[in-house]
Amino acid sequence: MSNNPRYSEQELVSRLLRQDDQAFSYLYDNYSPALFGVINQIISNKEATADVLQDVFVNIWRKINLYDDTKGRLFTWMLNIARNAAIDKLRSRSYQDSLKNQPLAENVNTITANSVITPQQNDIGLKKQVGKLKEEYRVLIDLSYFQGFTHEEISKILNLPLGTVKTRIRSALIQLRTMI
Amino acid sequence: MNIQEYISSGIIESYVLGLASPEERAEFERMCALYPELIKARTGFELSLEKQAFENSVPPPAETKEKIWSAIRHSSTKGPSKIIPMEPGKNKFGGLRWFAAASVILFLLTAWLAFSFYKKNGELQAKIDRNDSVINAMTRGDKIMHDPNVMVVNMVGMKGSPSSASVYWDSTSTDVYMVVKNMPKLPSDKQYQLWALIGSKPVDLGLFDLPQSNNVILKMKNTQKADAFAITIENRGNTGGPDLGQMQSLGKAKL
Repeated sequence: MSNNPRYSEQELVSRLLRQDDQAFSYLYDNYSPALFGVINQIISNKEATADVLQDVFVNIWRKINLYDDTKGRLFTWMLNIARNAAIDKLRSRSYQDSLKNQPLAENVNTITANSVITPQQNDIGLKKQVGKLKEEYRVLIDLSYFQGFTHEEISKILNLPLGTVKTRIRSALIQLRTMI
Repeated sequence: MNIQEYISSGIIESYVLGLASPEERAEFERMCALYPELIKARTGFELSLEKQAFENSVPPPAETKEKIWSAIRHSSTKGPSKIIPMEPGKNKFGGLRWFAAASVILFLLTAWLAFSFYKKNGELQAKIDRNDSVINAMTRGDKIMHDPNVMVVNMVGMKGSPSSASVYWDSTSTDVYMVVKNMPKLPSDKQYQLWALIGSKPVDLGLFDLPQSNNVILKMKNTQKADAFAITIENRGNTGGPDLGQMQSLGKAKL
C-alpha cells in the first residue's frame, strides 16, 4: 500500500459504524484514488466515473453495517461495491446513449466477442494484467469481470458450452493470480 | 478434493472478485470456517489485489468529495442510525407512548371545555331568566296601565309620611297590582301590608317587602270589592288584623 493508514481496518470500521465524520473523511482520502482507478477500468467516460465514485461512497456510508469482516477485507467489500456500481452504470440507458458510436447492449444475444474491448495502451492495473492473458482467457475475464455478464450469458455470447466457460474462467483466474 | 487442491482451484479469486455463484460462495464461506489456511490464502489474494489497486490509483475530481458530503447530509440518512429506529418493538412503543400522551391531553382539553361551556351555559340561562322576568313584568305593567278596566288608586302618605304608591285594580278579573313609588325601608322584622277596606272592614291583600327597584309591579291578592286601599307596617309574617295606627298610606277607590 502506498500510504500509512492512521486507523487499523477494524478501528476504521467501528468508527464508521458510529457515523464518525472524521473516519469517513479519512476513508475517502485513503481509498478513493484506488477505487477511482478501478472504476476507470470499467467506464472510460470521466464524468460518469466521478458519478459512480460518488454513488459508491454514499453507499459505503449508508451500508457500512452490512460489511462482514469474516467474509473479507474492507477494501475487497468496497471494491465489489465499486465494480457493481460501475457495471450498473455501464449498462444504463443514459451511459449507453452517451456512447454515440457504439451499439446498445440491450440484448445479450446480440453481443458478440467483437464488442469485447481489446487491450489498450492506457489500460492500468488489473485490466492491464488481464490484457496479458492469452486471448481465450482475456475475453472471458473481460466479459465476466469488467462487463458483468453471467456465465450463462457468456455461454450464449461466445457460443460455448456452459461447462467450458466455467472451467476456462477458473483457469484464467489461476493464471491471473500468478501475475499480480 | 483436499484443501490444497481447493485453494488452488481458482475459487479464492472467483470469490474475492465477485465472480462466484451463490452456491460457490456459500460453500467457500463454510470451508473458511473449517480451514484457517483457506482464510490465509484468501487474505493473501485480497492484499495483492488491494496493493495493485493502490498502485494504479487515479485521483478523482476535487469536487467529488464535497458532492458526497452534501449527498449524505442532504438525505440525512446516517447509515446505521437509520436502522436503529426501525427496530419494530421500540418504534411501536414510541408511537403508542406519543398516542397515549396525545389522548390524555385531548381528554383534559375536552373536559375543561365541557366544564367551561356548562358553567357559561348556566350563567347565560340565569341571565335569560332575569331578563325574562323583567320583560314579563314590564309587559304586564304596560298591559295593566293601559287596560280601560283597570282602576288606578293613588295612595297618599299619612301624617307626613312620604310613602307613595299606586294600586291597580282590575274590576273585571279582580286582580290587584301595586307599584311602589317611594316608601321608606323597614327593619328586617317588619313588612308592609296592603289592605282593602270594604265598608270599614279591612281585608288582607298581602304582605310585601320593598322591591329592589321602583316601578316594579307587585301582584297582590285579588278582591272583588274595595272602597279604599290602605298600607300598614306590620310584624313580618303578620296573620292578624291591621295595626291601623301604623297606616302609611290610604287611597280611596272611586267606583
